[in-house]
Amino acid sequence: MKSKKLNYLTAVAGLILAGIGLYLVKTQTSPAGLMLTLPYICVGIGCGFFGHGMGNIISHNIMKNYKDEYKQMEIEKNDERNIAILNASKAKAYDIMVFVLGALMISLALMNVDLIVVLLLVFAYLFIQGSAIYYRSKFDKIM
Amino acid sequence: MKNRLEEIRKEHGLKQEDLATILEVSRQTIGSLENGRYNPSILLAFKIARYFDMQIEDIFIYEEELL
Repeated sequence: MKSKKLNYLTAVAGLILAGIGLYLVKTQTSPAGLMLTLPYICVGIGCGFFGHGMGNIISHNIMKNYKDEYKQMEIEKNDERNIAILNASKAKAYDIMVFVLGALMISLALMNVDLIVVLLLVFAYLFIQGSAIYYRSKFDKIM
Repeated sequence: MKNRLEEIRKEHGLKQEDLATILEVSRQTIGSLENGRYNPSILLAFKIARYFDMQIEDIFIYEEELL
């Protein structure tokens, strides 16, 4: 019930956001600075929200008529082996990502790319590593 | 870890699909358990044992690895 409400809310919020974006595109005569891109960002995010909410509502309505299939889908989603597989593949992908980001940082630095680009990547890398340490310590306390 | 799940399931005249539905897991999970490719969580092990009215040790056989 809660998720149904949330889906409707997401769809409506998306519609409103897209509407605001379109209104801004149509009414602005001489946009400058942030206002050059903001309406299009609103339209993009609004459409994304609307699509997500509407997709969930439609799939929920269709699934109401196929209770067995819906139950099977839920079983597949909550199956402990499937969750273990998903988590193991995420962990592997994380290990690969650390190497890829490291290689990318070194490559960009050697290519004499603008410092801001390299620094952005370094901060993103450090943020990911920081998150990993935070969650390790958090799970260490609760498990 | 070895187990007698396949043997016990067949004794009860159940198909993998039936047991999966009863335990609310996927059929692949039952297959993997029977093949010994996947070790269940303690909750699932209890669920299986309760369903067959047995002890966990009667279904799952713990063997210490030989060094």
